[in-house]
Amino acid sequence: MNPPGASSSEMPGFPFPGRPGGEHDEPLLDMILGRRALPPDAPPEIHDLARMLAALSGPAEPGELDAEPDVRAAFAQLGPLSPPGRSLEPLGVSHLVRRPRGHRRPTQHRRSHRSPGSTRGRVRPRARVATALVATMAGLVIVGAYSGVLPGPVQRLAHATVAAPAPHRSGARASSTLDTRQGTRRPPQTTAPDHLAGSATTSAGGGSPTPHHPSRSSTSPGYHRTTRGCGLDPWWLVPLPTGESGYRGPLSWAQPNHCTGPATTRPSASPSLGSY
Amino acid sequence: MIGASFGVTLARAQGGDESAFARLFRDIQPALLRYLHVITPEAEDVAGETWLQVVTGLAGFRGGEDAFRAWLFTIARHRAIDAGRSRARRPAAPLDLEEVAERYLSPDAADLALDTISAREVVALIAKLPPDQAEIVMLRVVAGLEPGDVGQIVGKSAGAVRVASHRALRRLAELAERAGVTR
Repeated sequence: MNPPGASSSEMPGFPFPGRPGGEHDEPLLDMILGRRALPPDAPPEIHDLARMLAALSGPAEPGELDAEPDVRAAFAQLGPLSPPGRSLEPLGVSHLVRRPRGHRRPTQHRRSHRSPGSTRGRVRPRARVATALVATMAGLVIVGAYSGVLPGPVQRLAHATVAAPAPHRSGARASSTLDTRQGTRRPPQTTAPDHLAGSATTSAGGGSPTPHHPSRSSTSPGYHRTTRGCGLDPWWLVPLPTGESGYRGPLSWAQPNHCTGPATTRPSASPSLGSY
Repeated sequence: MIGASFGVTLARAQGGDESAFARLFRDIQPALLRYLHVITPEAEDVAGETWLQVVTGLAGFRGGEDAFRAWLFTIARHRAIDAGRSRARRPAAPLDLEEVAERYLSPDAADLALDTISAREVVALIAKLPPDQAEIVMLRVVAGLEPGDVGQIVGKSAGAVRVASHRALRRLAELAERAGVTR
């Protein structure tokens, strides 16, 4: 198989229009394009072509220099010696390109790149306003979540997702709340009230979970119940028992069975809570 | 072409001489308009925008006459492309170059004669060429640019410009013969 690129001499009579040397008239065409004089013995059609193209590069025809006053005015106003910072519109240069068919002016042309036929120019301000609104609302929701003022389900969701305080319940707090004074998470209040703090072990060690009804007033500041992996179970993830004890209250901290053993108590590491 | 005095004329125009700038304008404007009539239906608009850009950038230009022409025709081509994009976004009836040529001038065989043919009539014939060939012919013949400069403007190699211009001239000769301009 022959390699590609056979020369024209190898294939006589087969035209290669784009190949240098493939056409006998190329030097003449180059002379026309270069505005050089043709040899007298050149084909007449080449001479005709040259004369035609000579007309193309002839002097200005009527109407072709009509814009000269406007261009000169533009030069006077915007040219090298013009004061800096001058704009087109107030100087009346826009009529430089004034057209009988009423086309746009140049400064409008630049602006119209975005607007005609598309909605980008109109949508952008709206998108900015919508973005600002969304950001503001998100900020308000986050502030509200950390303030604990959101509706229950929303607060619960914020508690689960962004560690916001758990929702307030009537008469008590949720099982896991954020101690704002210490910035630490406080375990649920499942132990006995203050006056029972010393007997917490006894009350919890009876072999059966004792229903607790913790309340704000029943906190035991000096003690946390440590249940080794049981005390931080979110209350909403553990189904409330429906045994003989019946309803245990909305903030009942349902403990799994393995957590029903004797709970130990220890002094809180938090000095601010050590009121005993 | 201004020729040897181009440098002086340009320097005076860059110094704020309005008459020198007018000389530059009168020398190039016909070629610019003819070129733009081939590549865009909004030739006058684009020419105006081109000159505005030339006015604002004239002080920073450095180079000879060929470079000045190449710079100006490059600006014109970019403005024509911008105009084409803007036109494409506008809901309007499509307008092809042949229609432009017909509007610019309807070459009638009875009216066309080689001895009296005008630049407008030749532009109308060239506008019937394939667009890339028509543009290359205009840049080579009307703007007087070398194949390398034309290649830089249209994004082709000098060889490709040369080949395209040859094909364009052959096709133009056929068109002229068909129109009765030539033998």
